[in-house]
Amino acid sequence: MTSDYAVLTEDLTKFYGQRRGIESLTLQVGAGEVLGFLGPNGAGKTTTIRLLLDFLRPTDGSATVLGLDPRRDKAALHRQIGYLPGELSFPGRETAGDLLRFFGAARGGVAWSQVTGLAERLDLDLSRPVRTMSKGNKQKVGLVQAFMHRPALLILDEPTSGLDPLMQQEFLAMVRDARDAGQTVFMSSHVLAEVQHTADRVAIIRDGRLVAVERVESLGKRAIRSVEIHFNDPVDPAEFDVLPGVSEVTVSGPVLRCTVSGRLDPLIKVAARHEIVDMLSAEPDLEETFLSFYYHSEGAGDASRAGA
Amino acid sequence: MLPALVRKTWRDDRRAVLGWAVGVAAFTTIYTSFYRQFQGAAELKQEALPQGMLDFLGIADMFSPAGYLQATIFSLVGPLLVLMCAITLTARTIARPEEDGGMELLLANPLSRTAFAGQRLAATGTAVTVVAAIPLLLLFVVVPRVGMDIPLSNVAAAGVGLIALVWCFTGIAFLAGAVSGRRSSVLAVTGVLAVAAYMANAISGMSDGWHWVRWLSPFHYFIGTDPLHTGWHPVELLILVAVGAATALAGVWAFDRRDVGV
Ligand SMILES: Nc1ncnc2c1ncn2[C@@H]1O[C@H](COP(=O)(O)OP(=O)(O)OP(=O)(O)O)[C@@H](O)[C@H]1O
Ligand SMILES: [Mg+2]
Repeated sequence: MTSDYAVLTEDLTKFYGQRRGIESLTLQVGAGEVLGFLGPNGAGKTTTIRLLLDFLRPTDGSATVLGLDPRRDKAALHRQIGYLPGELSFPGRETAGDLLRFFGAARGGVAWSQVTGLAERLDLDLSRPVRTMSKGNKQKVGLVQAFMHRPALLILDEPTSGLDPLMQQEFLAMVRDARDAGQTVFMSSHVLAEVQHTADRVAIIRDGRLVAVERVESLGKRAIRSVEIHFNDPVDPAEFDVLPGVSEVTVSGPVLRCTVSGRLDPLIKVAARHEIVDMLSAEPDLEETFLSFYYHSEGAGDASRAGA
Repeated sequence: MLPALVRKTWRDDRRAVLGWAVGVAAFTTIYTSFYRQFQGAAELKQEALPQGMLDFLGIADMFSPAGYLQATIFSLVGPLLVLMCAITLTARTIARPEEDGGMELLLANPLSRTAFAGQRLAATGTAVTVVAAIPLLLLFVVVPRVGMDIPLSNVAAAGVGLIALVWCFTGIAFLAGAVSGRRSSVLAVTGVLAVAAYMANAISGMSDGWHWVRWLSPFHYFIGTDPLHTGWHPVELLILVAVGAATALAGVWAFDRRDVGV
């Protein structure tokens, strides 16, 4: 049963002495799923990831990864995991190629064509010493070593940091390919836009606690949009004020402006009683909805404070 | 085929090991090759220094070949060189990658914590042993050639003693790194212990009331038995090896039980 989940945490808690890392984190990531793990600085993303990899030991609670115990089964588990650290630092001074050969050998042999394929895709020169590389190119080496052995689970801590926009797109394509190949991806990020189009679900963590886990589409359902309706005749704002999810209603003559959180249905039903000339509705701003999670755990409804 | 991590450890430590090897080899050859030329100077040195100072430096007499060898290679500078090599190399097994962040990717390899620690230690332990064996190997060649009248078996006993001493401190350094994950702790703890051990052995020879302290000092088990004159002392050597092994095992045990990179 548990093996249907690639990652399963139950009340996972980590304190660094008195300092809270994460607290009571309960999260499931299905096999084959792409999960975006979002949250502001210091929220506990890296802490969670390092617990899953058994670099840290939980203060309380437990984690199961690919049906295995991170500590007891570390060797077997890490063979099936591709890990990209958030703070990349490479051991040694050799060239990218030699370093990747070491990672390949340590994981029981990886077809070299796999490495060169990824390097080509990311436009990475394998003959240069990693130490002399720019931040973005180091990041590419990190990505190649995470993907090279086609692991069942990819755990990526801020994978796009340092990559230029073109390479970010290429990376996202790699994630989609991984999903198509049945791999599970657990990636942390600061911005929704980055995972919005690749992730199946996003988990949002703040101050060490999980504040939301949602499918990306349903995050849209909770989004705030501004709506403008032009009627044939003047309307009474009181008629619209009372509707669920509708707020900031202003009426100037026949034009009604308001913001709607969630479904548009109640507003449309009432508006349809009148003759409508025109209607404008801005695309729901996911980013704004998402930002609201950063500042208020309740999410939607307070987005105006977080937004511009 | 050796484990990838062992080969990687050697590759990363290659320059440092080579540097230490060249240094120790040069030190050993230079001091012993010029045995005859040094003889005259040594006499002067011995006359110039008070007896207490000679005792402290571990120099019994510089006239006999064994005394000369002991004074030059095995008393202070020789052990100091190989111990510094052992301590700095051992600080690289866990503490250094943990501090500079390279540990994340090393530890992400499919190995248990204990296997990881074991392989790092095995790789570094071999490198350290090679460096510590250099005086032994060179003396086998140089001692007969320059005509020092010492049984080679006694030279072997002293040379092996040096290796045993280095193993003892490698184990201690590994334990310090495995527990703390900090290079400064490794250098401080092991360095202070080494100096204290040397002093304990030296002081116990000078004042009778302090005779017993020598039993606490690894240096006593290495050179206090005077192997160049008296040959092999297996029990003393085994004590050194046992301390090294016990601390190394404790280090592996401790590393398996803590957070890494906090
Ligand atoms: N080694 C440590 N010792 C003490 N506290 C720590 C340590 N590492 C992290 N913390 C604390 O744990 C909390 C979570 O940190 P974590 O690194 O997991 O955040 P994050 O979500 O990865 O942040 P970022 O987006 O900046 O990478 C923070 O309050 C941080 O100060
Ligand atoms: Mg982080």
